[in-house]
Amino acid sequence: MKNSQTFDPPEEMEPKLKDVPAARGHWRNIWANFRRRRLAFISLILVAFIYLLGIFAPVIQTHDYQETNLRRTQQGPSTENWFGTDRAGRDLYTRVVWGIQTTVIITVTSFATGSLLLGVTIGLVAGYFRGWVDAVIMRVGEVVSAFPDILLIILLAATLRPRIVEFARSVEDSTGMSGLVSSGIVDYVVIGIALLPLSWFGMMRLVRGQVLVLREAEYVEAARAMGTSTPRILFRHILPNVVSPIIVSVSFGIGAIALSEVVLSFFGLGVQPPRPSLGVMIGEVTARGGASVSVLRDHPEQLLAPIIVVWLLIFCWNIVGDALNDVLNPRAR
Amino acid sequence: MLAYILRRLLWTPVLLSLAAFFVFIMGMCAPGDPAELRLGNRATPERIERERERLGLDDPIPVRYVRYVNGVLKGDFGDSYHYQGKPVLEIIAPRLWVSMQLNIAALIVAVLVGLPLGFYAAKRQGTGRDPAIVISMLILYAMPVFFTAPFLILFFAVKLHWVPAAGWGGFFSLQIILPALTIGIPGAAIFVRFMRASTLDVIGQEYVRTAHAKGMSNFVVNYRHVARNALLPVLTIMGFTLAGMFGGSLIVELIYGIPGAGRLSLDAIFQRDFPVLTAFVLLGAAMLVFANLIIDIAYTIVDPRIRLQ
Amino acid sequence: MRRTFFGMALGLALIAAVACSGDSASPTEASAPPTSTPPAARATRPAIAPALQSKDDAAPSSDGSGPMSGGAFNTLWSDPPTMDPHLVTDGTSYGIVIEVFSGLVRLGSNPSNPFEPDLAESWSISDGGKVYEFKLRKDLTFSNGDPVTAQDFKWSLERAAHPDTASTVAEEFLGDIVGIQDIVDGNATSAEGIEVVDEQTLRLTIDAPKAYFIAKLTYPTAFVLNKNNVESLGRNWTDEPVSTGPFTLKEYRIGQRIRLARNDNFWDRVAYLDEVVFNLAGGVSMAMYENDEIDITSVGLADLERVQDPTEELNKDLVEVPPNFAVSYVGFNINKAPFDDANFRQALNHSVDKQLIADQVFSNLVKPAYGIIPPGFPGFSAEIQGLEFDPQLAKDLLAQSAYADVGSRPRIVLTVPGTGGSPGLTTEVVADMWRQNLGIEIEIQQVEWATYIQDLHRGRLQAWSGLSWQADYPDPQTFIDVLFRSNSAINYGGYANTQVDDYVVSAQTEQDATKRVQYYNDAEQIVVSEAAWLPLWWGVDSKALVKPWVKDYQFSSLTIAKLKDVWLDK
Repeated sequence: MKNSQTFDPPEEMEPKLKDVPAARGHWRNIWANFRRRRLAFISLILVAFIYLLGIFAPVIQTHDYQETNLRRTQQGPSTENWFGTDRAGRDLYTRVVWGIQTTVIITVTSFATGSLLLGVTIGLVAGYFRGWVDAVIMRVGEVVSAFPDILLIILLAATLRPRIVEFARSVEDSTGMSGLVSSGIVDYVVIGIALLPLSWFGMMRLVRGQVLVLREAEYVEAARAMGTSTPRILFRHILPNVVSPIIVSVSFGIGAIALSEVVLSFFGLGVQPPRPSLGVMIGEVTARGGASVSVLRDHPEQLLAPIIVVWLLIFCWNIVGDALNDVLNPRAR
Repeated sequence: MLAYILRRLLWTPVLLSLAAFFVFIMGMCAPGDPAELRLGNRATPERIERERERLGLDDPIPVRYVRYVNGVLKGDFGDSYHYQGKPVLEIIAPRLWVSMQLNIAALIVAVLVGLPLGFYAAKRQGTGRDPAIVISMLILYAMPVFFTAPFLILFFAVKLHWVPAAGWGGFFSLQIILPALTIGIPGAAIFVRFMRASTLDVIGQEYVRTAHAKGMSNFVVNYRHVARNALLPVLTIMGFTLAGMFGGSLIVELIYGIPGAGRLSLDAIFQRDFPVLTAFVLLGAAMLVFANLIIDIAYTIVDPRIRLQ
Repeated sequence: MRRTFFGMALGLALIAAVACSGDSASPTEASAPPTSTPPAARATRPAIAPALQSKDDAAPSSDGSGPMSGGAFNTLWSDPPTMDPHLVTDGTSYGIVIEVFSGLVRLGSNPSNPFEPDLAESWSISDGGKVYEFKLRKDLTFSNGDPVTAQDFKWSLERAAHPDTASTVAEEFLGDIVGIQDIVDGNATSAEGIEVVDEQTLRLTIDAPKAYFIAKLTYPTAFVLNKNNVESLGRNWTDEPVSTGPFTLKEYRIGQRIRLARNDNFWDRVAYLDEVVFNLAGGVSMAMYENDEIDITSVGLADLERVQDPTEELNKDLVEVPPNFAVSYVGFNINKAPFDDANFRQALNHSVDKQLIADQVFSNLVKPAYGIIPPGFPGFSAEIQGLEFDPQLAKDLLAQSAYADVGSRPRIVLTVPGTGGSPGLTTEVVADMWRQNLGIEIEIQQVEWATYIQDLHRGRLQAWSGLSWQADYPDPQTFIDVLFRSNSAINYGGYANTQVDDYVVSAQTEQDATKRVQYYNDAEQIVVSEAAWLPLWWGVDSKALVKPWVKDYQFSSLTIAKLKDVWLDK
């Protein structure tokens, strides 16, 4: 019920005990099953399409995203400006596709670092070693997750940004590199770090739960008895069996991450102009909420262009997540 | 069992003091000197120095931390920077109360819409209505607040003049309707989902089939057996949802001009009103921790099969 | 601006980051964008410039029938940081406090003599300008009927300065009075500079002849409070304050509303309105106006087109708000490359087409500024040669500058106060004009308000935007001297020109008014030609909507108690 929430995947999914590595036929089966769900399949294609728009933004843009044209401000959609222009005469279509690129980058980096790298690894460790390691990790997680998350994100972004930007500048100045700040990389780092508390704990708990069960499985005990090293057990024997719930969890979480970036940028704490982001566009056009009604009435395209993308992304990822959940965890409901 | 509860209870203050420490450190790292912030842009260095002394900013960090924790234990979170020396608790308490009312109203909307729809969808499984309900609720769920809120205002307030456009008038006022809908409808989508799943589970249970076989009327079976049993697991989710709503209505409060906790904390971040912010985050954390604790304990009491270790 | 220092008579107040209507949001209300700031709130920003507009700018009076008593006036506001006059430092609090409390003198609309007697009937200055003797009006009472005496003033002034009151401005505004500094320092509780001659006579002695002292007494720090009221209720006395202004506080529900009721014990004609309701919601002001929830609202950019359409119902409610005497600008730090090169700064000036931006982006809600002193303000000169838009000249100047070559040009960071939302269209459009016309790429950086102000003070910012300066009092000194004198504390860009310094110092003591203005104009011309700034706009936020039944609402750039004259015809 809050901004950053998605449908949570079922807490405890029963891990399927199967031999490693996963048979190729198994995945082919799953894919076939997935394709049979028409809506989910269409959603997946739609998501892929939106993401491709973002990835190829430099190619498919019709204008420069920061190019103002004061002779063509506040235009409706036309052949020249497909979605119209904003108050400064910038092309909305171009800004939307670049905004999607921002979303893509944020989503990928934040998942790669927070959820997958940190969450999965820590989850594996906590579940496998149990005892005090597990206790410490769980307690730390509890502390972090005890904070209201969107607020924590905003707080982190607000306090961290000046430090990180300063650091990046000094790096640029001392190494002669350029564009670290202006290209937005620093913004991505800031947002990535700010989103960490949101992303790692859920994934970690999920993986840990699975591992707690799996580590008692016969084949793992067998591997242990044979003297297999712990990392090998973790990553070769246990991890492949946790992949399904991870996939489901990621697909549910992506929408939330994307939305968090939008909210951050809406408040001016995320991506910095002139680089567009969907959140920046919404924040700019609505004057941070106050003008939202007026804009919706007088120039709806300026508000709707970024919003529909966000809407589609969240909707589609939820449909996909649902279908994946059914397909990958047929027993869990 | 008792040992577990005891352990959890003992753990809670540790958790909270860790949270307090974290918040305190964040405050330290924040840019801007509190004394300068309080005095504004024309203050002379001497006056800033005096103010720093008054606020105790020159003391070593451990001293300040101890002083902070000491104050918190007595319910004194310090004075606000922005609201000229008002005690933080005095500022936060009414805001929290507003947010709570708003979220309860939203929860009521979510329950009233979500549970019947979820139940209905489950009963109609296999027909076109089931997916239609699920998907349309999902569409509403995914709708960004940035659109929902202005749209509702435009339609119901500006065009139809049915309700006020913005502002706060308390729980029993017309003003609460739009924001409650804005938060409640996506919430309803969550309830539809859980209620539907839960109902499907119950329908498949033997005692329901037995009831049908015994020739009980559909109505009785539906309401005495299915709905009631399906509700149980959903209720636990409700607890989580309430606890999780804390701070979640940020943008809704912003657009509708509701003096809630979300907006206050947002203002506090931008105004660097750290006493307010830290108190707020701490209280939020405390509420979540206690909610979790109560839910955990309630579980063991309701369902003796769950043994906590 | 948050905690704006109300620097009357001392110089200029740094006005909120409202560089431009609809531009970057005011940090005062992190949640309320300019479009939702009530026009009155604008006017209440620390401005002590005279209201030069005609009196009938507000809704036209109906059929000539006289003012009627009664009714409630609804307006949008945001939570005041304080209701204690002695603690007020910001416009939001000021706007409400001034309707409820009052002091010896108040500001009036006559530019030549802006100080009107309020609770004091008259005053005399003696001992070479060091002793002020105030005669209080007869039979003055607080809203609860208690008499107001000179003793109350003595107590109030001393209370304002006392460390326990924790006022951040008492030293600033009262520190001139002999003995106040000791109280502020905690070494005394009574000031010998404040003498009660008799019930009705108060004598203030200041440490040196300071012509601006009387101006300081118009600030709420010098307002009179009721000792009993303050001491009996302790910290929460502002919940039920006893006051001397045209209204009394009836109800304050944080975040919801503030209700003021007429003070029947007001010394002058009592207010027409039964009640004033300040809606503290913030939210969407236009929607609330159209839904009849508020009687007045400023018009933001997003609504401008619609309300200016003559076929629209709302168009009838549209009124012009007199421009405030402010100038918004892009500031350059003269001590930091590349802004140490005048050619470079001039190139930046010449490459921005302000007229086009004003037309197209701001629907002429702003007026392009080519000088520093706003039109209509004392000392304004139409003769000042501004740096007009001329892209070719700009290119030439850039070529002549030390930074013609991209490789030799250091990184340019333009900092704006970002309390959320966009850095302001102005900034982005200006940056793009530099890019398009000169090929100069800059980085825009939003930092939150606290950091922004701190860095500004310490001269850390290379270039900045999102600020405007508003006059404190009707004298060109408030612009030219305070902003560009090389040793002025708020010459943030470190601009230094001995010629300018000579002019402004001469002007300080010059007795001949014409000559004095000439000094300022000469200084201004140098400042403009050397491109110390990129001046952007003069006077902003010039449109508001007022319901037809609201009469005699006078917009003013002054923070004055204006609601006592308002009446409703419905």
